[in-house]
Amino acid sequence: MDEEKKQTEDTKTDVLPADTNDKAEEYLNNWKRERADFLNYKKDEFKRLSEFAKFANEGVLMEVIELMDDLETASKKIDDPGLAQIIKKLEEFLKKYDIEKIAAKKDFDPALHEAVSTEARPRQAEGEAGEGGDKIEEVRAGYKMHDKIIRPARVKIIKNN
Amino acid sequence: MAKILGIDLGTTNSAMAVVEIGQPRILENKEGMRTTPSIVAVGKNGERYVGVTAKRQAVTNPRDTIYSVKRLIGRRFADEEVQRDRKLLPYEIREGKQGDVEVKLGGEWKKPAEISAMILQKLKADAEDKLGEKITEAIITVPAYFDDSQRKATKDAGEIAGLTVKRVINEPTAAALAYGFNKKKDEKIVVYDFGGGTFDVSVLEVSEDTIEVRGTGGDTHLGGDDIDQKIIHHFIDEFKKESGMDVSKDQLVVQRLKDAAEKAKHELSSTLQTEVNIPFLTADSAGPKHFNISFTRAKLEELTRELVDRSIKLTKETVESAGVKISDINEVVMVGGQTRMPLIVEEVKKLFGKEPHKDINPDEVVALGAAVQGGIMQGYIRDVLLLDVTPLSLGIETLGQVFTKMIEKNTTVPVSKTQTFSTAADNQPSVEIHILQGERAMAHDNKTLGRFILDGIPPAPRGVPQVEVSFDIDANGILNVKAKDKATNKEQSIRIEGSSGLSEDEKKRMTADAEKHAAEDAKKKELAESRNLGETLVYTTEKMVKENDAKIKEEDKKEINEKSEALKNVLKLENVEEIKKATEELSKVAQRVGGELYKAASAQNSSGEPKQETPPAEESPKEEPNK
Repeated sequence: MDEEKKQTEDTKTDVLPADTNDKAEEYLNNWKRERADFLNYKKDEFKRLSEFAKFANEGVLMEVIELMDDLETASKKIDDPGLAQIIKKLEEFLKKYDIEKIAAKKDFDPALHEAVSTEARPRQAEGEAGEGGDKIEEVRAGYKMHDKIIRPARVKIIKNN
Repeated sequence: MAKILGIDLGTTNSAMAVVEIGQPRILENKEGMRTTPSIVAVGKNGERYVGVTAKRQAVTNPRDTIYSVKRLIGRRFADEEVQRDRKLLPYEIREGKQGDVEVKLGGEWKKPAEISAMILQKLKADAEDKLGEKITEAIITVPAYFDDSQRKATKDAGEIAGLTVKRVINEPTAAALAYGFNKKKDEKIVVYDFGGGTFDVSVLEVSEDTIEVRGTGGDTHLGGDDIDQKIIHHFIDEFKKESGMDVSKDQLVVQRLKDAAEKAKHELSSTLQTEVNIPFLTADSAGPKHFNISFTRAKLEELTRELVDRSIKLTKETVESAGVKISDINEVVMVGGQTRMPLIVEEVKKLFGKEPHKDINPDEVVALGAAVQGGIMQGYIRDVLLLDVTPLSLGIETLGQVFTKMIEKNTTVPVSKTQTFSTAADNQPSVEIHILQGERAMAHDNKTLGRFILDGIPPAPRGVPQVEVSFDIDANGILNVKAKDKATNKEQSIRIEGSSGLSEDEKKRMTADAEKHAAEDAKKKELAESRNLGETLVYTTEKMVKENDAKIKEEDKKEINEKSEALKNVLKLENVEEIKKATEELSKVAQRVGGELYKAASAQNSSGEPKQETPPAEESPKEEPNK
């Protein structure tokens, strides 16, 4: 009888470990996955944070750029060397944060420009004869920060027809 | 496992998200923006633009810029909606061979699904770029009122873009998923979605394993853009009143007013008044004209009241026609950027008599929910992985009855934290570990969870013994606190099972209490801390005098003694300023005398100060052991 009891216990213990092993394996794998996820997340988060830090000032600087817009609009109406100097000062300030104006281009490029209106003008009125394409006229400057376009230039499209 | 992209393919804007570590996250597009305009265009030279670039060129290329294509997808040309929208949309629309809709883009006739596919293609490419891996599967959301044909067309759009659409789910369902409401059995949820161009209301019912849409309603032509228009017209009117000039026809001026309107609208969500200041708006023969008005939230609400009221009326009707009583609604979820407007939140709250959910960014909640759906399908978001957080901070009492936090509130468990403490008196034989829970600064204002005593600490001056206290909360919320004397390795511990067995009300009360008493608690804590500092200074100064008795001049000893007595006297009082002043005075003398001693001894090697760990120390040297 003792022998028999031992036998059943043995068969029991035969089954159990296999099952527990499977479970243990599953748990261990889940845990490894979780650890790996966490470490990868940390790496990604680091990348995101560095990117975030790079553009952390963007919001504030955008408001400074708006002031710059006003000054530039004013300078078009008022010719004053003092005003020009303020604009220059502000430009230098923005440059410190690696913010620069997007250089003017002849052709419309929606990666850099935002069209706000269109205007048809006879070809003769335009200085540059010969080129058939539309011309653009900047109404508000565009800016880039660390090579990212933070604000496209607003332009008026002059249709040549 | 490859990620499933959750996509909110909107009428005006689209957004995308993926699940990472069991949490959904919005993916930015190539331009670094969290939403992408749902616009496609073909330029003069045949180049295709999707998203913000398409939007930027729309003015100059209206006939080849397709927006709001969601209004047409999967519809019959004869549909009333199509006929109405056809009049508003600037691009060409015709009836297809099967009675469906076709739009003209770049000289070619295309199905709306092909246009949507171009948007999806950009999202897919940008997501792949961002994640550095291939994306092949997606969950796409559609309005709850979309019929089979519209759903099928949306799915086709996904397939054309090279995505296997695992499922097309309802936008309100996605919003509910983002909030985790799929676990709220038998609840009824209203999703109030005030987007840029459309307003949708849905009534959902959560059952064992489904979220059922009980009713839908809304207005396909009511949105945040209407609110912007009201503001712009107000500005135009104000300017006319002031200057007599009508600027409504000048696109450039209107554009500047539009910028100002958007800005003012955003600002008035958090402030009551803002200034609209546009210098050199325009000019007439008399010179430049500026625009400068003060714009209040009250004015904004007056201008837009009618629109908000309409949305509330539609919400009420939708709930009623779903056969549900307003009072039976358990949760209200806010979707769409316009729901940031305080008036809307207030009116929705008034209608349902409960605070609507608006913690998740309303522009992103649908995409996040779509990602959650993908996560559930992949098994990334398992119940097992939904970890608990500690509802309140846990810690121990330290010198001066200060509550020193070991584990901050809202920490995800399992977690363990260890900190080293010391004794408060010379030859203190034991320390009492008093475990507390709560947010108040002083120990006695918090809830005691248990206490025990670690004894058998060998005789040593105060601050020298190192007692390592560790808190460990396992995944079941069971707290184990252990204290170990590092010198003898003797340890004592306690196991507390019900550390988070607080009712919701209790948690709320304790957190609210802490906020209410924050200022007064900070004062008490400052008093306790300045007392601790004062006492420590008295102790170390007296010790210095005792140890260097022969080397210190009598007059210095006298001065130290006087100052030290003075400090001891004020320590009994409750005046922080007095204590700080007396401490400062004693400190000055002690430093001068200490400096002289140091100089005198600099020829020889002076004896080292005992190393001191984190200053908070257990006070009451009770002797009886805990067990």
